[in-house]
Amino acid sequence: MKTARLGIVALHCITWFLLAVVAAPILVVLAGAFLDPTLLGVTTERWAAQSSFFIPGWFGYVFQLYNRSLEFSLVLALLSVVVCLVVSIPGAYAIVRTDSRASRILEEITLLPLSIPGIAMSIGLIQAYAIVRGKWWLILCGHVLYTIPLMMRVITNALRSLDLDRLQNAAQSLGANAWQRFLFVIVPNLRHSIIVGSLLVFAISWGEFNVSYLLNTPLNQTYPAALYATYTSNSFAVSSAATTIFLAVIIPVLLALQWIGGREFSRPEQAA
Amino acid sequence: MSIAKKMAPSFPLVVALFLLLAYPLSLLFARSLQDANEFSLTNYIQLFTDNSHRRALFHSLILSALVASISTLICLAPAWLFANEHFAGKSLVRAIFTLPMSFSGIIVGFLAVIMVGRIGAVPQFFEKLTGTAYTSGWAYRLSGLVLAYLYFEIPRATLTLESALRKFDPQLSVAARSLGANTWQRLRLLILPLIWRPLVSTFAVTFTVSLGSFGVALILSKRFSVLPLEIFQQITGYGNNGLMAAMAIVLVLLAFVINYSARATS
Repeated sequence: MKTARLGIVALHCITWFLLAVVAAPILVVLAGAFLDPTLLGVTTERWAAQSSFFIPGWFGYVFQLYNRSLEFSLVLALLSVVVCLVVSIPGAYAIVRTDSRASRILEEITLLPLSIPGIAMSIGLIQAYAIVRGKWWLILCGHVLYTIPLMMRVITNALRSLDLDRLQNAAQSLGANAWQRFLFVIVPNLRHSIIVGSLLVFAISWGEFNVSYLLNTPLNQTYPAALYATYTSNSFAVSSAATTIFLAVIIPVLLALQWIGGREFSRPEQAA
Repeated sequence: MSIAKKMAPSFPLVVALFLLLAYPLSLLFARSLQDANEFSLTNYIQLFTDNSHRRALFHSLILSALVASISTLICLAPAWLFANEHFAGKSLVRAIFTLPMSFSGIIVGFLAVIMVGRIGAVPQFFEKLTGTAYTSGWAYRLSGLVLAYLYFEIPRATLTLESALRKFDPQLSVAARSLGANTWQRLRLLILPLIWRPLVSTFAVTFTVSLGSFGVALILSKRFSVLPLEIFQQITGYGNNGLMAAMAIVLVLLAFVINYSARATS
């Protein structure tokens, strides 16, 4: 078993190295946002003149500058979750229950956005709906297109693990009609997947840049689009503070996904 | 109950997919084959003959293939550990691994600049340590682009591989050994056939994501252009809708070829 042990040690080494690669930039951003940038030696700007160990000042500046974008992105992410749920739960229910050729084809099409490069979908939306470019709901549509496959996969997997026929029959024999069966028997059984899917959709929508940036206007700017503006025109410290705000929203969501989601959260692909 | 009636609840889904996916993509396809409202291949000819477009397409392919191969191979290690081993702090480590998943490309680009830019954290560390600022300015070169793309592929590759490797039973390897198979035989005859499928599908996933990403290149790329960046310049610049559509369709077709051949081989 000696070679096997050695192999495991090697796997651990690679894993911890990758962990450091993933974590290090995040730590540097946090340091850049909270500490005096001159400590890192990366700025010569006037901000650096206010020298003290702990400067939370940038956050006020970023909030003042981008509070509208922050609000817009949060609302957009929440609406994406709601729309995805409303569309996906009945859709997945129909697909799983029917199990015909039509439903299998529909399922394939639903998962299709996962294998289409993000930029191509954005261009499609832009060209198809050029007239309403800049409208907030068009950006919402883009986010929904990106996130529906993820929600669908979580919900269909959950539905397949339920014994739908028996649940249906039991509810029916107690006098529940189709609507009642769906709302009070099927949906409550999906609550765990609904939470996982919602967190996933929220996370992807909050970080989405492709569609948002190409479709936005200064009035309807998402937070990642605002971040791009910050990166191109502001100092390292301000950019770090802005990125920290982004992370402060996303990290709890991803941690919650990890703890609640477990195995369902195991095949997520999404355009970057 | 008839199938039509059973499928009725999927109506909103079908409408959404038609409006957001089918219609825009068919419009792109139609536009890419038009010039001045007539059928022509001008856009594709321009795409494949114009030097800068062709180079961008080539760069996209090379970069995506490189990044997909490296991330698929290197992420076997964490994926294997998450799937088959138990160790202290596993769920925390796994949680940190998933962080870059929802970072959009621009954020990864920014992280690359602060880590391996001209005065990034890593070169400064090296300068303090050795006196020479190794890796300085990498962010703006191909090496930096590869690193940044790897950054957002690590979680995707790891999680995709992990879900596949979970089905692998380590006992099989023990059984093969007890039957007299040496390490090389076990690797070639047992482990490789078992993990071949996940390897191929992970390659396809990461390749597609890299192919369609433009945020990183938007921040980092100075001379090294990729196709998504060319599309972006078409939007912000003089904007030839037909050419833009042709570029997008080429990306879609490439992604399809990769994804479906991955399925076919496994």
